[in-house]
Amino acid sequence: MAVCIAVIAKENYPLYIRCSANVEDELKFHFTVHTSLDVVEEKISSTGKTSTAGAPDMREFYLGQLYPSEDYRIYGYVTNTKVKFVMVVEASNTQIRDNDVRSMFRRLHNAYTSVVCNPFYILGSNISSKAFEKVVAGMIVDEQKKELFT
Amino acid sequence: MSKTTGRAFENKKLVGELFTLTYGALVSQLIKDYEKDDEVNKQLDKMGYNIGVRLVEDFMARSNLGKCQDLRETADVIAKVAFKMYLNITPVVTNWSLANDEFSLILENNPLAEFVELPERHSDLSYANVLCGAIRGALEMLQLEVETWFLKDALKGDTATELRVKFIKKLTDALPAGED
Repeated sequence: MAVCIAVIAKENYPLYIRCSANVEDELKFHFTVHTSLDVVEEKISSTGKTSTAGAPDMREFYLGQLYPSEDYRIYGYVTNTKVKFVMVVEASNTQIRDNDVRSMFRRLHNAYTSVVCNPFYILGSNISSKAFEKVVAGMIVDEQKKELFT
Repeated sequence: MSKTTGRAFENKKLVGELFTLTYGALVSQLIKDYEKDDEVNKQLDKMGYNIGVRLVEDFMARSNLGKCQDLRETADVIAKVAFKMYLNITPVVTNWSLANDEFSLILENNPLAEFVELPERHSDLSYANVLCGAIRGALEMLQLEVETWFLKDALKGDTATELRVKFIKKLTDALPAGED
C-alpha cells in the first residue's frame, strides 16, 4: 500500500503522479519523487559500469529501496526503455515486504504496457487511461480506510 | 510435447497482438487523415467490405460448407465457423427479430479492441467498423444484401459489443460494380 506512485519518462519528466487522497501537500511528494530520480540515475549508471555477474541482470527490474528518509521509504523500478516507476511508502508501514513491492511494480509495469498499446495514447504524453487509474487506485492506501480497519 | 504446444499457443497469441496493434495503428492513422469520426467510420466500412468480398472465397474454400437454407443457418455459420476461423472468437447469436430477418452477434471480448480506450473526442467512432463491412461484403458475394451496424460497443462503456445484421433482400441480378 503506497502513499504515492509516479511514472517518469525517459527524459525524466513525469507521465503520471498520484498521491493518497487526503495528503495535505502533494507538492512535497512531487519534490521527493524528483529528488529520488538522482538516486535512480546513479543506480542505473553504476550497474552499467560494473562487470560482476549479478549486477547487469538488475537493469530491467526492481531497484530496491532508493533512500530512507524520516517519514518515508522510496522504491524504484526501471524498465529497459528507461521509464521509471517510483513508489513512496510510509516508514511506519512495516507490514509491506520487499516481495509485495516487487509484485506491485510488476502490476504497474503491466498496466503501463496496456496503456502504451492503446493506439490513441501518444507516447510521452500524460497517462489518462481509466484502466491504469484503477490499478494505481488499488495500490494507493487511503488513510481513512486504514483507520476503519484497525 | 507440451513444450511445443505451449510455444505454438504463445506464438499465436503474439501474432494476435501484432494484428491488434496493426489495426490500432490503422485506425489512428485514418483519424489523423480524415479527422471526422463519420468519415473514418465510412472508410473502415469500405475497407471491411473489400476484405469481406475476398475473404468469403477463402472461407468457402476452407470450410467446404454447402448452401445455407435460411438466415438462421447463415447466422450460425458466421458466428461459429467464420469468426472462429479468422478471429478465434465465437460470438453468440441472439435477439432475433419477430420477422426473423434481423439478428445480433454479441462479442464478449473484441480482439481488435484489446488495450484500446477511446478518448472523449472520438466518442462517435465505431472502432471495429471493419467487421461490419466485412460481413456485409461477404454476404453480398453470396447474393444476400444485408445492413450491419453496431448496437453496443464495449469501448463506449457497454458490457459487450453487439453487432446487428439485418437482411434486406436476396440479390438475383449481376453483382454490383463495386464501391468507388
